[in-house]
Formats: sequence, C-alpha cells, structure tokens
Amino acid sequence: MAGILVVAEHLRGRLAPVTGELIGTAVALKEQLGGPVRVAVIDAAPEALADDLAFAGVDEILLIGAPTPEFDAVAAAHATVEIATAVEARLILIGHTVSGMGFGPAVAARLGGGFASDVITVEAVSGGIRAQRAGYANKVLSWMQFGNAPLVTLMLRAGGAKPPAASDDVVSRRAVTVDFAPVASLLSEHQGYIDPPPADVDITKAEVIMSIGRGIQDEQNIERFRALADRLGATLGCSRPIADAGWLPKAHQVGLSGKTASNCKLYLALGISGAVQHLHGMKHVETIIAVNTDRNAPIFNAATHGVCADVFAFADALETNFN
Amino acid sequence: MQTRDLFWQMSPIAVQVFYGIGIAAMATFLAAAVHHANRYRRGTAADRPVDWAAGVRRMVSDLLAHRTLDRRDRYAGIGHRLIFFGFVTLLAGTLIITLDYDVMRPLTGVSFWHGWFYLAFSLVVDVAGVVLIAGIVMMMARRALFALPKLDYQRAYRGETDIRPQARRWQVEDWAFLSLLLAIAVSGFVQEATRLLIDRPPLDDLSPVGAMLARLMEAAGVDSDAAVAIRKANWWLHAVLALAFVGTVAITKGKHTIAAIASLAMRDTRNVARLPAPREGAPVGVSRLEEMSWRDLLHFDACTKCGRCHEACPARVSGYPLSPRDLILDLRLYAESGLPGTAGRELLDVVTPEALWACRACGACAEICPVGIEHPVKIVKMRRALVEWGEMDPILRGVLETIANVGNSFGEPARKRGSWTRELPFQVKDARREPVEALWFVGDFASFDPRSQGVSRTVARIFAKAGLDFGLLYDGERNAGNDIRRVGEEGLYETLSGHNAGQLQQARFDWVVTTDPHSFNTIRNEYPEFGARVAIRHYSAVLADMLESGRLKVKRPLGKRVTLHDPCHLGRFNGEYEAPRRVLRAIGCEIVEMPRCRDNSFCCGAGGGRIWVPDPPGTEKPAHSRMHEAAALGGIDVFVTCCPKDLTMFEDARKTSGHEADFVVADLAELVAEAIELKAIAPGQIPALIDRITEAVADRVIARLVPELSRALAANAASLPAPAVAPVAAIAARETAASPAVPVEAPPLAPAGIAPAISAPPAATGADVEMMPIAPLDATEWCIAPRRPAVIAGYAAPAKTGCRILVGVKHVAKLGDEFGFRADGRDVRPDDLEYQLNEWDETAIEAAMQIVEARGAGEVVAVCIGPAEAEGSIRKALAKGAARAVRLWQDGLSVSDPMTNAALLAAVAEAEGADLVLTGVQASDVANGATTAATAAMLGWAHAAVVVGLAWDGGPRLDIERELEGGLRHAATLPVPAVLSIQAGANTPRYATMRMIKDAKKKALVVVEDIALGDGAAGAVVASMALPPVGQATMIEGTPAEMAAAVAQLIRDKRG
Repeated sequence: MAGILVVAEHLRGRLAPVTGELIGTAVALKEQLGGPVRVAVIDAAPEALADDLAFAGVDEILLIGAPTPEFDAVAAAHATVEIATAVEARLILIGHTVSGMGFGPAVAARLGGGFASDVITVEAVSGGIRAQRAGYANKVLSWMQFGNAPLVTLMLRAGGAKPPAASDDVVSRRAVTVDFAPVASLLSEHQGYIDPPPADVDITKAEVIMSIGRGIQDEQNIERFRALADRLGATLGCSRPIADAGWLPKAHQVGLSGKTASNCKLYLALGISGAVQHLHGMKHVETIIAVNTDRNAPIFNAATHGVCADVFAFADALETNFN
Repeated sequence: MQTRDLFWQMSPIAVQVFYGIGIAAMATFLAAAVHHANRYRRGTAADRPVDWAAGVRRMVSDLLAHRTLDRRDRYAGIGHRLIFFGFVTLLAGTLIITLDYDVMRPLTGVSFWHGWFYLAFSLVVDVAGVVLIAGIVMMMARRALFALPKLDYQRAYRGETDIRPQARRWQVEDWAFLSLLLAIAVSGFVQEATRLLIDRPPLDDLSPVGAMLARLMEAAGVDSDAAVAIRKANWWLHAVLALAFVGTVAITKGKHTIAAIASLAMRDTRNVARLPAPREGAPVGVSRLEEMSWRDLLHFDACTKCGRCHEACPARVSGYPLSPRDLILDLRLYAESGLPGTAGRELLDVVTPEALWACRACGACAEICPVGIEHPVKIVKMRRALVEWGEMDPILRGVLETIANVGNSFGEPARKRGSWTRELPFQVKDARREPVEALWFVGDFASFDPRSQGVSRTVARIFAKAGLDFGLLYDGERNAGNDIRRVGEEGLYETLSGHNAGQLQQARFDWVVTTDPHSFNTIRNEYPEFGARVAIRHYSAVLADMLESGRLKVKRPLGKRVTLHDPCHLGRFNGEYEAPRRVLRAIGCEIVEMPRCRDNSFCCGAGGGRIWVPDPPGTEKPAHSRMHEAAALGGIDVFVTCCPKDLTMFEDARKTSGHEADFVVADLAELVAEAIELKAIAPGQIPALIDRITEAVADRVIARLVPELSRALAANAASLPAPAVAPVAAIAARETAASPAVPVEAPPLAPAGIAPAISAPPAATGADVEMMPIAPLDATEWCIAPRRPAVIAGYAAPAKTGCRILVGVKHVAKLGDEFGFRADGRDVRPDDLEYQLNEWDETAIEAAMQIVEARGAGEVVAVCIGPAEAEGSIRKALAKGAARAVRLWQDGLSVSDPMTNAALLAAVAEAEGADLVLTGVQASDVANGATTAATAAMLGWAHAAVVVGLAWDGGPRLDIERELEGGLRHAATLPVPAVLSIQAGANTPRYATMRMIKDAKKKALVVVEDIALGDGAAGAVVASMALPPVGQATMIEGTPAEMAAAVAQLIRDKRG
C-alpha cells in the first residue's frame, strides 16, 4: 500500500478551501486504507503554500515547481501523474472544482484505474473503497465501485468534509522535480484575472440564500429583510409574486421562471408557502429552513428544518441573535 | 312635365369645362383604385379561399343593419348610419341623373327624369341631404366635444405624450373629410333654394327643405338678382366639391368606403379561432410586405381608425406596447410609402417585436372590428418570423423546448399526465384500450397544475355521479398546441396536433369533452385540417345538459351572487356564452355580469403564450384589471371561471391585487359539486379507495425505504455473514419494488467484452442476494494503464476543407419526480426517463458556430454517443447549425462513464483531424464534468474546462476565459488543437424551430458501430442506486427567541 495522494488547489497565492476538505477525507480514510497521506502542491513557488498544509494526519508535503505562473491544466495533470507514479499512490484525491475539472479526469485517463468525479462521500470497506455521487439532477445517489483497479482517482465535491486540525508536529516537506518537457508545447499562457463586477445578486452562485415571499406583506418591509440578509451574510432571494410586483428586481427570483439556487448550501425561506414553481429552484438544496405561519404549507415538505411562527417576530429574533 | 335644367344659363364651353373636370376626377379615382389593386396583387394568395357569395350576402346585410358599427358605440353607429344612408341615396340620385342625361337621352332621346318620378326623386334626395347633414353634425360633435381617448391617436401605452406628426395629419384629414361632405350637402341645398327662388316650380319640386331654405333666403333679403348670382357661383362650388370628393376618395380617409366594403365581403369570422397555416414552399414567418396576403394588404386599407380594437385590447389597456389599431395603421403607412427597412425584416422595423409579443391572441380586436380586420392573424404571422430567428423571451423559448421534449409545458414526464386520477376513488378508463362514450382531452394545466388537478378530480367525480362513461388518453395526450400555434411555433404545433390527431383516431369514443377552452378551440377548429374531425364539447355545456335533464340533481341551490368570466377561447372564438350561465342558473346562483362580459370579455392575460412570458415588474396585469372590475360590482361571493388557465391567473391576481377579502375564485365544477352535494367519497367506494391508496402509499414507501434499507445493509455488509434481507426479498416480488440488493443483471457501465478491467460481479440468482464485492486496493499489483482512444476502424471522415470543430452532444436523461429503480437496483427504470439534448452542449454548439461564422469558413460536426433514439437530439444539434453528425453506438455501451465517452470522442477527433473539440461542461443527467480533460489526455492535446469566453482566429493559439468559483475569470491562451468544455450561459444558443429540426434530416448523419474499446476503458460501475434522504422538515419549537437561536446555530454551522 502506497498511500493517498491529495492534490492541493490554490488560487492567487491562497489555498482553496477544498484542499483542507480533501485532506480531511484522506486522513479519515488513512486508518483503513493505510498511509501515508501525501499532499502535492504544484505551483511556481510551492514553498509559500506549504505552511498552510500542515494539517494533522498529513505525512508528507510534496513541493513541485510548476512551469507556469498560474494554474495550467496540462501541467497539473502531468505533475500529478508523475508524482502518483513515483509514490505509487493507491488513491488520488482532487477537488471537483473548476480547476479540478480541468485536470483531474486527465490524470485518470493517463493513469488508468478507477475514477469518479463529483463525489459526495468516500467510504473505505475492507481495504477497498466505494464512492457516492448524485445523479439525475440530484434525484438519486449512486454508490460507485471500482472492481479490482489498483488505483483510484476521485474528484470530491466541495463542502462535503471538514479539514483536520493543524498538525502539532512539523510535517516533512520534499521538493520533487518533475520534467515538464514532454508537455511543454501544450502549456497555456496566463493572460490575467478578471474580477467579477461588484455585487449584483447571483442566485445561481450564492451559497447562502435568504428568500422572502408574500408573507412579508408589504413593499415597505423589503428593506428590513434586506438588512437581515446582509446581517446573515446571505444573498436575498424571493418568490415570484415579490418580483412580479416589482418589489425586488427579477434577478432575485428563485424558481421556475427565475433562477435556480444551483450552488446553495443553506436556504432560508421566510413567508414562502412553497409553490411548485418556487420549489423547482431550491428543493435540491441540502439545508432548507422554512419559516411560515401555516403549518401545512408545502414548503415544510421540502425543508429540512421548519419553524411555524410569525415571520416578523422570527426575523426580529434572528436579527437580535446576529447582532 | 316637370323637371329641372341641369346646366341653367351655362355656355356650351362652361358645360364642356364641367365635363372635363368630371372626367379628370373620375380618371383620378380610377387611377388610384387601379394603383391599390395592383398593390394588393403583389401580396400572396389568400390564406384560405374566399367564399364571395356568402361574404357579399353577409356584407350587404351587415351594412343595411349597420350591425358592426352599432356595437359598443351606439352613438357612432347612428351617426354613421345617417351619413351612410344619406350619402348612398344622394350618390344614387346623382347616378340616376347621369343615367338619364348622359346615357338615355344621347342614345335614345328618351328621358325618364321628369313628371311624378322627378318629383318623388326630388323629395327623396331632399330628405337624404338632411339625413346626411344630421349624421355629419353628430360625428363632428363627437370629435369636438366627447374627448374620446380612442380617437386621440396618442400612444400613451408606449409612454408617448406627444401626438406623432402622422397622427396630426390624420386629425386634419378626419376633419377635412367631414367638412367636405358637409360642404357638398349644404351647397346642394343652397343650389336647390336659389333655383326654387328663381324658377318657382309647381309644388316647389316636392323639396321641402330646399323650399324652406329658399323662404329663409327670401326673408333674409335675397332678391332675384342676388339669387341668380348665387345660383351661378354656387353651381360651380357644389360641382367642384363633389368632383373633388370623387377624385380624392381613393387616396384619403374616404378610401375606407371601398376597402371596408371589400373587407366585409371577404370576412372570415373563424380566422382567429382557426389560424391559417403557412403556405407551402414559402417562409414560415412573415417579415416582408410581399409575404403578406392580398387580404392582409386590403385589411390595412380598410381600417377606419375607429379605435374600437384600441379600446378592447387587454395589452393596450394594461400599458403594454401594443395597440391593434396602431399596428394596422403603421403597416398601412409602410405599405403606402414603401419606406426602406432592414432587408428581410422590414415589417419588424415597422411593428416592433415587443408589440408583437404583447399580444394575448384573445381576439378582442378582430371580434369588435366593424370592418372585419383580423389583427391577430397578422401578429401570429410576424411572430412566426421572430420564432424562426429565436427572438423571444428566454423563458418562452425554454417552455417551447420543454414542450418539444416532453409534450407538456410543465416539464413533467408524459407518463405522469394521468397521475391526477390516482386520488380518485375509481379507476378512469384508458380510451386507447377500451371504448368510451366521452373521451376527455385534459390539457396541460388541468393535468399538471396542482390547483387545476383538484378541479379535474371534481369534474371526474361529477361525471361519474352522472353516470357518464368517460376515459382519457393518459400519456398518449400531449399539449393540444393551441397556444404554441399562437406563439408562432408552427412546426411544433404541427407535431403536437399531428400526434394528438393520431391518438384520437386510435381511440374509440362518441365525442370529446374538455375543461380547457384552449384545447377545445384548436381541436374543434384547427385539428380538422390535420385529419382529426371529432365532435368536441366544453364541460360547461355537458354539465348544463346534465343539470337541466336531471341527470345531476341539485340538492342545495347555492343562492350565491357570482360573476362569470367568459374565456376568450370559449366565448369569442366559439360563440359559447350560454352554457356556463345555464349551469350557474341551474345551481341557483345569481349572475351579476361584469361590464366587460360575453363578446367583450376581458382576457386574463394568459393567451397567445403569454402565460409563459413573465410580465415586466410594475405593469398592471390584465388579470388585475379584471379583479378590480369584479370587485366594483360589490357583494360578489364567487368569481367563476371555466378555464384552467383563468383559474390560475385569477387566483394569483386576486391575492396580488388586494381583493383577497372581497370574493373567492372558483371553477364552475366546484360550485356544481357543492350544489349537488357531491360527497367526498361515496360509502360504497371506500374499500376500493383504501386499496388504491394503500397501493400508492406502498409504492412510495417501497421506493423510499428499500434503498435506505439496502444502504444500511451495505454499510454493514462486511459484518453481516448472511444479510437478513427477507423483507426486501418479499417486497421485491412486487412489480414496482426496487431492491438494489439483488444484482440480476450485469451493471450498465461494464458490459461484457467492453470494459474488462472492472469486471461485473457474477450473475446471482434471485435468491442469492449479495452485494457487489469491494476488492481491496492492494489486491492488485500497482501499475498504470493509460487509456487510449477507441478504435473505430471503419470510419472515414470527409476530406477537410477549412477548420473543423467537433462538438460532443449528449442525449441526456431527465428523471421526473416519481420514479422507481430497476430490479438490480443499479439504475432507475428506463421507462421513467425522458431524453433531450444536453443544455450545456447547446452552448458548446453555439460557441463553435460563432467561431465558424466569424471566420466565414469551416464546419461544425456534432458527435454523439448514444443509441438510435438519440437522433432527436442530434437533429436538434444539426438544426442549430452543425453541418453533419457522427453517432457512435454498440450494444451494451455506457453513456454514463466519462472515460468511455472520452475514448470514443478522442477516436472521432483523430479520425476527423479536428482543430477543436468542444463539449458542454457536464451532462445534466450524470454531471461528471470529466469527458473533456480525459479526451484531451488521450489525444495529447491542450485542454481547459469551464470556458466562458472563446476566440480563435485560426492561428496557432486561441484565447479563452475560464470562469472560476465566485465569478472570477482567468484569461489564458492555449495552443491548437485543444479540447474545451463550455459553460452554460457563455452564450445564448440559437433557437431551432421544429421545422428546422425536421429539415435537419437532410444533413448527413454517419453511424459508427464498429467500435473496439481498450482494456479498462470504464472508470467505475454503479453498484447501487438509492433515493437521497428527504422528507418532512424537523420542526423547531419554542419561543421566537428560542427558535431564532436554533436557526442561527444552523446557519453558523453551515457557513462554517
């Protein structure tokens, strides 16, 4: 057994949150699968990131000097394949992120063996592993297995695991030289980053959404709920009647004729009864907290947590709690 | 013998001058008339043959009765009637004199214009003159004093406060027209008066008005010398005015006297209810003047600017940028001027797309038009062009694609169409399997909208109570297409109507019933042209008969004050106003009519596809206006609808327009159920119902529980020597049960002989329930096995001429809300899946098309891995611009494994010598997001994922922008060739109409079946599939503060 290889993800000199989650998963599996857990950093200046990778349970940090100043899919895939081969990694963990999608499948194509992407859960079973992923627009969950593949590459969905605590000990580091000559002609040239335009709402990207419905009763109450959303760090969404009435711009509307909360992790629905059209845009969200005066409102069938209360009283109490 | 001298004391030269002017005036008139006729002839043939005989008969009767002019403006009707009959009589008088003087006398020397005939003639013409003047004065007073908004030409609905210069000219023309007529009439009387003063004929020529005027003049001091002078001068005045009228009538407002009569003679009152199909071989949409039919061109000229349509239009009333009158007038101006426009879409410069999309196709304009103009027909013809170009609201476009994919606007699987019947205490017959008396065509809203489903069940129970033998088409039914046709997606309409017509032909029934007026309309009026001639009745008529014949007995007359909304498609389109009122009377309701009722019913705003287009924020919807109207009646208990769309629109509008407390909105059937005391469930039906409910609940429990159970078992598989799965096995015996723990088939991803690296578990017998074993990773010696492109030896790509871009397109599966698992528990039942072209791949096709179009060379090739059924999606890709397509398939091939897909895509890319390979970021069904990078790795090409910006000038490198989490973009250049995945939203894919999709059959599609995949092609197999945990919310109890604290904790936990 030659252990688990985690490929760290980083952007503009900062580690991406998914890296800690990948390490958390790797460390949790180490007990059953056996170590070591190695974390590879592929960057023009990998040492700068090494300090942040010293999580408890990490056995070794591998520093690979990248041929490009910023992320390059070909370079990342090549380096990962070379390292995995060098250490004979049995399990390779990569984030299912934009950059991860750029190179992770290429790693699996070049190494062979098992592969699954957008994995929600990984389980070790008697020395082997299986991975759970969603299908058919999150309507089903599938357990994927990998036969008798000698190695498996998995791309993990962000937000599914917790990073371990920082390591008390010094984690050993090793600089590894990878020859990028075979892929030199395929490399990209970095042209720059373009920051997104400031803060118009984007329901599809928001991770925390607080939506309001007809229960807020009056246009004059919009500002009050907007303030609450700001306080919670949530994007303000709404149901169709609110947008139709012109109380909020259309961009805020969640549902069939509005936006789908595709990346939402937490959805707080205030005064929304839960028309099918609205549910369409948010019912897939992992955690849905619904607040409504009507105990029989359909929103409670879609929600994970329900509060049967006056929306205004509840909003006041919540705001106090966050003050 | 009494008569009069036409050319009193006039020299022969003066007479000749008069004839000269007269002939010139008539020549001018004729020239203008010929010019118009030639203009009309440039239009295409009439959409349907014109029934002239019947048309002329009705035109004459309409004109004599002035039926169309009296409607909703009695004053104008009377005024116009006076002008019309006065004018026609005077015109006839003039013609009689011409006949006598210029025809009879020169030819035969005989004259009939004398004696008693002359005197009678004189009297009639005298009275006609007064009638004409009275009418003109009425109309002048109306224009001057009534301040009617429909006559002010101001386009307030477009936010215009000034009147356009053209409208100013119209105002001048309106007054000039009336003034000229008045001057002709008055000068005629003056002429008569001076003649009577001078000639003093016996009986005053039986001209009482002329004689009265003569005496007035005499009293005013007009002596015989003055009379002679006036008589001579006024003769010329009268003659020149009258001839000026003749000369200009065909080029001024007077034109309507001819065009409107012609329009009425060719009127087809069913045209809005039964839209014309596009002509064979012609463009589907109309965007140029010459694509309009001659009838359309004549309609533009027939408009009298009366403003009745302007007043009736629900779009105009609600402040949308459409007035049917102004639309017709703008088209007329354009037709007259031949102004230049954008080549190929001139009419859409004249009539903006926003105006066309504002239309609700409610038919209120055409219905009230006194001259028979069919505004909606023109609007739909132009909408067809917009649809062809994809210029429509994105939501509407999405709905059209949904309907094309699944046959209903709700995006539900076809099999769920009959789901609403499950909660009925009895089984509804399937009319495709057994004969029924009445076939119920349910329609989309009544089938899928939860509120309308309730009404459908009520109707079903009423029918059952009345003993009606009825059945459904179940999943054989699709959207009837009425509104699709009115949106302008004619190809899709043809597909839907063709399908439904086929289903109707296969079922056995006596007549069709529906609760949906939209389905009712198209089946009744339009399906006959698609081969389905059926007798169809609206449920209101069926219920009325049942109540009146005693088949349904009213046990409790309701005694409610109700108002009824006439559905456009039932009333105006099909003339059924009485049936719902008969029902309401039979159940003891007092009907209070709204001001706008029956033929003047005010559209709910949902028609013409507008139910799928969101109204811009801030506008008052038509439905709101209707709610205010009903509330103004005072003391109404129920606002009654008999259309599922109406119910939806008005229930929404009641809440948002502030009338929640004033009345309720209810369907006709719900009131009937109350009146006949339809019990929730008859006692005799309870056992059967219990069975049905138990069964339904059991299905759901099994679907939810079994996967959970097996998952729990799987988790403990290692510690369970012999899994205790007896309950599972027992349930598995049920047909609907899904037991993931029973592997009876080879897993879908690793068919024998294709992907041997990951071997399928040994086939187990039903009793031998076993999990797929998980092998320890170190059971196999560590090694790498690079994946390579598949071998497709038999495939030869056409020679390459320009750049070649491959686009991977997937026929993706979509799962409805209710589904079950396959017996082996590794996938859902195939029947529960519906397929369509992957949304991300549409974006990739568009990105490829934009490169090829920008370069003006090259081809886009669609590559699809899928069975023959995938050809629907391939055709769609071809319709969106791909030049040709390659489909790869082999029995047992997986479409869900990205590594297998990549090996196949890479093989085609090699064979084609592609410059670029594009795919969508992911397929919506399995969402691996992995094919792109894997393909590139197998090819040894550059690659990038989640690309939102792409530019390539054909050089050695291309520019991309990747969109990272949070919207940050990363710009880079890549060497060509490259493989890129394109993110949805990176562009707006062009819309492919159903006709384009059908036409795409002509493009080349090569099927590759000789495929050899390398060892270990697949990356994984599905071992089991289950439902994610869902259910009732965990309720948080306590004081607001406690509950808020608990929620706050949840938020903090989740945000980390």
